[in-house]
Amino acid sequence: MSHMFSNLAQSLDKRQEQSLEVMGKLFGAAQPGAVYGEPVVSGNYTVIPACEVAGGGGFGFGGGFGPAPAPTAGETPDKGEPQSQRPVSGGGGTGGGGGSTGRPVAVIIIGPEGVAVRPVVDVTKITLAFLTAWGAMLMMLGKMRRAGGG
Amino acid sequence: MTRFNEMFQLQTASGNPLTVGDVTLTPQSQALIVRWPAGGFVWNRPAAILVERGGQTERMPIVDVTRIVQLGLLGFSWVFSIVVFIKLTRRKE
Repeated sequence: MSHMFSNLAQSLDKRQEQSLEVMGKLFGAAQPGAVYGEPVVSGNYTVIPACEVAGGGGFGFGGGFGPAPAPTAGETPDKGEPQSQRPVSGGGGTGGGGGSTGRPVAVIIIGPEGVAVRPVVDVTKITLAFLTAWGAMLMMLGKMRRAGGG
Repeated sequence: MTRFNEMFQLQTASGNPLTVGDVTLTPQSQALIVRWPAGGFVWNRPAAILVERGGQTERMPIVDVTRIVQLGLLGFSWVFSIVVFIKLTRRKE
């Protein structure tokens, strides 16, 4: 039984180390190198992309051990069975999840004219935000009209 | 408060300088780091570029136009909703 328990404890420790390693890589996204890309050279111009990144994750693990369930009615416990060989209950588990997203924000252009920062405008996102805002405002207007008419 | 600071961190960091011709660029980023016992969250965005040329350093901020427009639309819709709600409330009175 102690052998099984130590195996479970070792397994949980190993999972914990792996989870911490993954989380360490997650927090590596907080460095400037994660948002600025490699410079691209074309002729006299050098272009550096800049983006926004976000990511998160979590993990959990657990384990347990306990005495074997009591014998049900009709079963006769084997009194001759040594303590170390009596069945025990145990279990363990690990789990985790995460996600990340990235979005271009601007492009830095270095050329003969100097250094320029050009923003990247995401028309799709702006259009969706516009439609959502207008939808919400129209709903409120409709509510106001119904309240005024009623 | 210390625990709060351990859980939430807002840090501005400078990256490795890059030299192109006679210009040296130092990228800067701003990151929000949230830690909890079994996980974490990171949000990192480009903040500015430091341009050094001829002994002079200029800071060029990086503006996220898309985010500004999104937040502007969101704020406008909130203000509009609040105004409509106040008018509705006054009508009921």
